[in-house]
Amino acid sequence: MSFILRRIATTKTGKQIVRDQPLAGDSITLGRDSGNAIHVADLAVNPHHATISSTDGRHVRIAAQEGLGFDLNGRTLDIADIDSAAGAELRFGGHRLTIAREGEDVILRVERIDELSQASKDVDEARAFSLAGVMPGKRVGAWSFAALVLLAFLIGPIWAWHSYRSVDERPQGYHADRAWLSGPLSSAHASLKNDCQACHVEPFVAVTDKACVGCHTGEHKAMSQAHAGASTAMLLAARAPPGAGGKVLAGFAQAFNKPQGRCVGCHTEHEGAGPMAATPQAFCTDCHEGMAARLTSAGFKPGVADAGDFGTSHPDFRPLVRAAPGAQPLRATPGKGAVSDFDGLKFPHELHLSANGGVARMAASFRGRYDFGKKLECENCHRPEADGVRIAPVVMERDCAMCHSLAFETVGGVTRTLRHGEPDQVVADLYAYYRSTGPTRPLQLGGMVRRRPGQYAAGQVYNIYFRETAVRPSRAADAVRAVFSKGGACYDCHTIHAPQSGNDWRVMPVHQTPRFLQKGWFDHDAHKETACADCHIAAPKSKQASDLLVPGLTQCRTCHVGESGATLAKVETATASPCAMCHEYHSDGGKPWVPARQRKKPVTAITEPPPGRTYAVREITGPNRRGLYAVAWRRPAKWGG
Amino acid sequence: MASLFPKRLLGRRSKATQTERVRESKHEGFLRYADFRWAKISGGLCLLVIVSYSLIDVQPRPNGGSWYGYTLGTIGALLILWLTALGYRKRRMTRDYWSLKAWTSAHVYLGLSLLVIGTWHTGFQLGWNVHTLAWALMMLVILSGMFGVAVYATLPAALSNNREQMTQMQMLEAIRAFDRQLHAAAQPLGPAETAPVLAALDEDPFAGGIRARLSGRYPKCATAAAHRALAAAQGGDAEARAKVIALLTQKEAALARLRRHLRLRALLEIWLYVHVPLTFALLAALSAHIISVFFYW
Repeated sequence: MSFILRRIATTKTGKQIVRDQPLAGDSITLGRDSGNAIHVADLAVNPHHATISSTDGRHVRIAAQEGLGFDLNGRTLDIADIDSAAGAELRFGGHRLTIAREGEDVILRVERIDELSQASKDVDEARAFSLAGVMPGKRVGAWSFAALVLLAFLIGPIWAWHSYRSVDERPQGYHADRAWLSGPLSSAHASLKNDCQACHVEPFVAVTDKACVGCHTGEHKAMSQAHAGASTAMLLAARAPPGAGGKVLAGFAQAFNKPQGRCVGCHTEHEGAGPMAATPQAFCTDCHEGMAARLTSAGFKPGVADAGDFGTSHPDFRPLVRAAPGAQPLRATPGKGAVSDFDGLKFPHELHLSANGGVARMAASFRGRYDFGKKLECENCHRPEADGVRIAPVVMERDCAMCHSLAFETVGGVTRTLRHGEPDQVVADLYAYYRSTGPTRPLQLGGMVRRRPGQYAAGQVYNIYFRETAVRPSRAADAVRAVFSKGGACYDCHTIHAPQSGNDWRVMPVHQTPRFLQKGWFDHDAHKETACADCHIAAPKSKQASDLLVPGLTQCRTCHVGESGATLAKVETATASPCAMCHEYHSDGGKPWVPARQRKKPVTAITEPPPGRTYAVREITGPNRRGLYAVAWRRPAKWGG
Repeated sequence: MASLFPKRLLGRRSKATQTERVRESKHEGFLRYADFRWAKISGGLCLLVIVSYSLIDVQPRPNGGSWYGYTLGTIGALLILWLTALGYRKRRMTRDYWSLKAWTSAHVYLGLSLLVIGTWHTGFQLGWNVHTLAWALMMLVILSGMFGVAVYATLPAALSNNREQMTQMQMLEAIRAFDRQLHAAAQPLGPAETAPVLAALDEDPFAGGIRARLSGRYPKCATAAAHRALAAAQGGDAEARAKVIALLTQKEAALARLRRHLRLRALLEIWLYVHVPLTFALLAALSAHIISVFFYW
């Protein structure tokens, strides 16, 4: 028996060269050290790794030394007995030791089976040097990302819609189609943000008016009267032919079944949180700009003038006036000379507003008794309605009688006045006055008054007294005539009809128009920071009561410009004014709806700090000024209040 | 515009070929292609969009649903589809139609113009929804593309310097050679000293994840660890150890070159791993965006 070490080398052509080397002795050593019988140049093998021995020439014992074992059939062992006839494969580090038997000899074959190093292994150059080895494939990423997005943002939302198709109201919580929300809903609709189907009922069908009036049962249900009265053909003829952009939009709308003229055409949603935006002026001017020509060419009679923008193209106002004394009120036609409004009164504003002259002197003399200044101001006679929108009609007893007294007698400290508004009573009162009481005892009859001797003889006094008495009846008629004639208390202010057959003195009825501008909304309360005369510029120079003092377009335009700031003349403090500022679409003649945020607060905004001693005043004594409007101070935010 | 498309493009073929040859000899890249033709077209498009956006008063306020928004959206969606088609075009070897260089040049510059077209299409209304998701994905795709163009313009020079005329396999072969020498030189060493050397031999030069590839930092490098361990070792065969240490130093240098190479290649490639998958995510989001608009019309 002997151990034979067999080495097999493979040439490049694939030939194998087998070399056998007999090893002397029954026991041989294996290790990295060159002194071993079997020298294995492997760093993973110890210098004296193992002893291979055989006593009977058939069974081989392999015993490991120096701690490191060897592998046999997958297990690491320190000692193993092997029947060489059966053969075995052992593993030392990166080498394999094969034990076999050929005749009487035990053949030991040692070969390297592992690569020398990790780097020595074969590599696929294209894969190893690129990122393909360390990253998941691009295709995998592409398809999985695409699938995820489609699942979450297309299939999910459609599934959500499908699940609640026949449900009136969705349960609270997140629904996948929330991801489709193109923008926050307005505050009024904010609660619907999880319930797309409340409005978007059918897929691929644009939101219908039915969805709106489902909730909005009362208000805004009807079109404006003016528009509802017009035929569809007329409404279509009024529309301006679309420009290039409008054609694109119409093309999209046509191609994808988006009908025009729905509620949402004006009331656009998903435009951001907060109140729904006011309808922009384009929705009016699309038709009303240049409408008359289009209507005429289509064979319709235009009822209103063209309006494109308040700043640049707006027709003159047509206030409601009585063109002649006693005429029916009609809307004025602009461009036909000065407009007059006969309300039946004679009232020269110039005389009353003059800074000097009798009226101013009289007003000044009443300072302290009434809230007059050095002269009369508008608000001394004109008062706003309770809601502040309009100015109340002048009431004689309240607004004129401070100066224009109708008192004719004082009895025991009580002043008797002629009855205003009842000419028959005035006549009767005057006759009664001269008939029923004796003449006032002249002051000089006072017995205690010292007199120069001989000046007032008793006869003289009686003469005065009795002459008065004698002439009284005829003086009553005179007094009545005087009151109703030029220079008289009634005649001064009223148009008087002299007595004719069967009639006594008559006063023409006074008609004060409560609202001159019937089609637009004007709110005095919103303008209280402005002096009356800033708009009613004709008032201080008006000599006739029939002068129409309603401001025209020109006065408005000194502040109000078009929606986008368009203006004909230079404006210092411009207020952008879309149509909806004055005109209301749904409720004709009513107050235009304004988002709460844009509503004027009932205070005067003062942004400049008030002068130093403003807040030092604790109390203001004296008679309450009857100002038109109470002014409240609002501390601007920048002061930290 | 007339000068951007000279007549020779349409008819006179021979002169066009000649121009092409001049371009080849000048190594004109896709960025400078045809004297920045597509940069000019794309810049003009952006300018047109920005100026018209500021001039056109869209009612009630600019958003994707206005006529202007529809126009920009349509242009943008078609552009995205066409830009995606570069992946298809580059796989089709053809001499017809545009050269791949012209196509790439147009891809880069028209892709950049999407920054304006897509963003202006939104009317600057963004939110947490599929519409903004599509926009965000588009922006990410464009940004990754910009990164790609930037690294293509700057890194090849660094890559070439690092290689010093070696091929990739030569770099690997150098490491293998050092491994063989190390293995031989370490034979006289004792077990305690062979262990770190074995670990160094066992180290895969391509190991380390994407983070190591991009940063080029390998803090657990076994070769460097073996170097430190042997430098600190005492006793034994000092001569053999000195030889091993010298070999380890050389292997470290070879490894460093390979790792620099891997890092540069990773930087050159990584953007595509964002660009391509996100493009497909974008196509999906774009489909969802368009369908959702008409679904809830």
